[in-house]
Amino acid sequence: MALPSATLLAQAILAGLFTGALYGLLGLGLSLSWGMLRQINLAHFALAFLGAYLTYELSSRRGVDPLLSLVFIVPLFFALGTALHWVLTRFRVSPFNSLLVTFGVTVIIEALLQWIWTADYRKLESSYAEHKLRLGPLFLPLPELITLGLGVGISIAVWVALRRTDLGKAMRAAAEDAPIAAAFGVNQNALALMLSGLNAALAGVAGVCIALAYTLSPSQIYAWIGVVFAAVMLGGLGRPLGPLIAGCVIGVTEAVTMAVTAPSWAPLVSFSLLMLVLLARPGRVA
Amino acid sequence: MKRSLLVILAAGAGLATVPWLGLPAFYESILYLVLHWIALATSWNLLSGYSGYFSFGHGAFFGIGMYTTATLATRFDIPFLWTLPAAGLVAALFGTLLGAVAFRVQAVRAELFSLLTLAATFVVATLILNTPIDGGPGVYMSAVPVPAIGPTASGTFYLLALAVALATVVAALVVYHSRFGTGLFAIHDDEDVAEVMGVPTFRYKLGAFALSCGLAGVVGGVQALFISYVTTGDTFTIALPLTVVLMAVLGGTRHWAGPIVGATAITLLLYAFTGGDTAIIGKGLTGLVLIVVILFMPEGLLGQALKWWHARRGAGAIAAPAPARAPALATGGPAVSPRPEAGAGEVLLRARGVRKSFKGVQALRGVDLELRRGEILGLLGPNGSGKSTFINVASGHYAVTAGVIEFDGRRISGIPAHRIAHGGMARTYQIPRPFAHLTVLENVALPAMFGAASLDRRSAEAEAWQWLAFTGLTERAGALPGELNLHQRKFLEFARALASRPQVLMLDEVLSGLTPSEIDEAVALIRRIRDQGATIVFVEHVMRAVMALCDRVVIFHRGEVLAEGQPREVMQRPAVVSAYLGQAMAPACAEAAFEAPMPVGIAELSHA
Amino acid sequence: MLEVQEIRVAYGQATALWDVSLSIGKGELLCVVGPNSAGKSTLINAIAGLHRVSAGRLVFDGQDISRLAPHRFCGQGIALVPEGRRLFTEMTVRENLEIGSYLGAARRERALSLERVCALFPALVEKLAQPAGSLSGGQQQMVAIGRAMMAKPRLLLLDEPSLGLAPSIVLDMFEAIRRIHADGIAVLLVEQNVSMALEVAQRAAVLEEGRIVAIGRPDQLMARPELRRAYLGLEPDAAPAAASFQPVAQPAAP
Repeated sequence: MALPSATLLAQAILAGLFTGALYGLLGLGLSLSWGMLRQINLAHFALAFLGAYLTYELSSRRGVDPLLSLVFIVPLFFALGTALHWVLTRFRVSPFNSLLVTFGVTVIIEALLQWIWTADYRKLESSYAEHKLRLGPLFLPLPELITLGLGVGISIAVWVALRRTDLGKAMRAAAEDAPIAAAFGVNQNALALMLSGLNAALAGVAGVCIALAYTLSPSQIYAWIGVVFAAVMLGGLGRPLGPLIAGCVIGVTEAVTMAVTAPSWAPLVSFSLLMLVLLARPGRVA
Repeated sequence: MKRSLLVILAAGAGLATVPWLGLPAFYESILYLVLHWIALATSWNLLSGYSGYFSFGHGAFFGIGMYTTATLATRFDIPFLWTLPAAGLVAALFGTLLGAVAFRVQAVRAELFSLLTLAATFVVATLILNTPIDGGPGVYMSAVPVPAIGPTASGTFYLLALAVALATVVAALVVYHSRFGTGLFAIHDDEDVAEVMGVPTFRYKLGAFALSCGLAGVVGGVQALFISYVTTGDTFTIALPLTVVLMAVLGGTRHWAGPIVGATAITLLLYAFTGGDTAIIGKGLTGLVLIVVILFMPEGLLGQALKWWHARRGAGAIAAPAPARAPALATGGPAVSPRPEAGAGEVLLRARGVRKSFKGVQALRGVDLELRRGEILGLLGPNGSGKSTFINVASGHYAVTAGVIEFDGRRISGIPAHRIAHGGMARTYQIPRPFAHLTVLENVALPAMFGAASLDRRSAEAEAWQWLAFTGLTERAGALPGELNLHQRKFLEFARALASRPQVLMLDEVLSGLTPSEIDEAVALIRRIRDQGATIVFVEHVMRAVMALCDRVVIFHRGEVLAEGQPREVMQRPAVVSAYLGQAMAPACAEAAFEAPMPVGIAELSHA
Repeated sequence: MLEVQEIRVAYGQATALWDVSLSIGKGELLCVVGPNSAGKSTLINAIAGLHRVSAGRLVFDGQDISRLAPHRFCGQGIALVPEGRRLFTEMTVRENLEIGSYLGAARRERALSLERVCALFPALVEKLAQPAGSLSGGQQQMVAIGRAMMAKPRLLLLDEPSLGLAPSIVLDMFEAIRRIHADGIAVLLVEQNVSMALEVAQRAAVLEEGRIVAIGRPDQLMARPELRRAYLGLEPDAAPAAASFQPVAQPAAP
């Protein structure tokens, strides 16, 4: 186990931050859904990949700039999220059963993706991938930078919205005590629909980022589930900055572990952390 | 149960002949798959379906079994068949370790347990991948000799899979009908109440988990040789637990045979859709099926079918044994606990300096009280004064923050609730908490099985019939609690509390929400219960009932005992009156001239 | 201003209120007293819109509000101080107060209302930035009342405000309630602490087992035996309780 050079270590940390930002972006919607709506939305990952494939499609077939495709993806996914939430509330699905139902949705979306785009690996070729910024001896690929920017920017925006705006405060109040919030005029149903739409839109954005930096294949959906759940729980449910910070911690620890030992040790980090959190402070989560 | 067992064994014997029937190899391989998944889904259901603790880590223990066999067979040249029990034992051991840690933490329920077990899968996978057990390239099993049990190698694997599946199904069946299974089902519906009724929840959960993991391990062992090349990537995926969940949920998690239905259906469905495009459709279809089942048929295919079947035969068809039990009533009802002449008046329960805080709120601030054998003690006081908290603490539902509670001379504060139940303490809940998926009869039989009496199932059911008759619920024995009205559910609480043959019965606001005539019935029932020899602690607000029933009352005020003594005398004390009505009322009430009682109805006096 | 007409409210399968009628005039302070599980909280929750009435009508300022969705009650001019405070513990005191003025009209006057609340409860001024869950019981009660006042209600509903509070704080609180009432706001007060309630009330009603058994002026009620019987179970006169209570032979089979 030879210690890598400082540059290599720094590059690893940077890589970890980039990955962490993506974990955070993916985890944000999941965390808000679970923490504020009591729905565990496993389909979040499938939605993200749907967004990724749509971006790929728009870019390679129609030549649409990936970032521009956000204009199309965000409203579409907002609608999808609202629809899914409507179904879950209409049938009064318990938090645990929402896990199972959304798993069903995940499988359906995965089949859909495979049907349309086959199981072959797809890589989005964009001009972004070719740009790399340099910071001294370190490389900063543009797609990853965009992801970092979006991840940090959106997390902070959501944080501010929940903290400062009336709508955000109403959502927090309704999440804690819906009947009393209603007694002061807060329409919990409308807010919940809005939040679900937002969460799905976030999945779409994450999907665009995934398309920019990663190779796509439908089975990849499952690779992210474990690690993002770890970020969500470590960050604390319903806290907008939680998944980002926890994601970065996990990402950096994974990257450093990979640089110092071997890549295959990386999953041990996040999952051991997850287990520790679950056992030591489960109350903070639920 | 005997009938089901015979059917299973017969089916097993029939299936065992397949390798010698000269059928195309295709049949053996698909049957192998079906049996493989039956074993996995059934073993999963043992813990998760029965108790409600959905494990997403079944793949981990399957994988542990696989690698145990792979390692023992390739590294240590142990004959394949001997590795199978080892695979099961190692997997069970790891399951026990994980469960011992996870189940100790109170808050790890439902989705948290699922995530914990999911995380465990990846931890195990990483450890195996990075250590010499696998090391990366996987383990090749091609050099391991296949035992010659069947005419061909594939026949042998088929027979092994059959054997494991049979063992698993039989285990599920036996547990389903056993005391262990009943306890698990109670845990599923309401773990806290189950614990308070005497079910040793920790031990049972751990046992079910270990059994479930062990069986999965054996399946893994067989699979290891079958696929002959073992890698972590294919084994420790999220697909396996999710598939297993799907199969069990589809078939019905509350029945031992549910997973069989689900596993067969899904395996055949996926097999029918093999090859290229149709496989994708098949996959999408399974997702759709899961959604439809959760939303519309939460009991699963088998569960739903059984429901229709019972509905057609007529609900409450369990009424039959009732007449045979009638003679017992003639003697004045079943005995609760013998009423010792000499012991009457001795102190049965003693609380000293009991404190209870919740997150900074002091619900009990040093309570001293005594309960004497054979009496009805009323616990009274304004809202929030600590009465219900005291019951919760005495029954073990909550732990004390400080102080001591002794029951029958033994210290009970701080010991697990199920042991307190064994000692002879029973309680009702203010808002009835019956086990929603068990029938009325099963609800009453459970405390008889797990409480102080600790009867076997037969006697427990007989006992339950007696208590149903005592509380007038005989005709509703086969109904689910959801079908009862509030009055009946309160009486169900009574019957449950009594069925454990307690020495002390604690009633928590049993009369709230009842109409005046229902209250009269309940009061009469409580009187009869006391006449049977029980000692009763009675938390109540309905004053006329308190006055009519209680030998002594204890007044709680802001977490402390304010007064104690004979009801009429205590209620006249100024300190008590002011606690209830407020300072200024005491002199006013004391001086108010007594008038004839006003008829109950609206007496509209002149407006201000 | 508010007319409750023969309402029946069910809690699951149990009927908690039977044909309850009462009325509150503009600017009046009405107290409802009665023992626990008499239905006092159910009554106030029904008026606040938290609970559906299964029969009867609620008429507020001439409008039938019985079928409105729960979140529409506040806009009518009704604000609730719930039993046990039920503050949003994760949010700061200021945020709790702001939720009170979530709706349009109240929101516009938020700054002014905040000043008024701080004038009413000076102790809260330095606690504005603290999470509501960290305050003491009495301070939390002040925040709960303040939150309701931020909604600029014409009818204020208070559900057992003295619950769990030390006597001296209870005095301060009732003083605040008096001042609110003096500003012309109608108040419906549900209380266990009968003496304090009757001191501030203009009229009072006694609720027992889901029915109103008496309504009148406080001094008139004090002399009546309903209160003693309802709370303490003591029948006036020397008739022993056991004789007046008729035991039933056998429970009828359900």
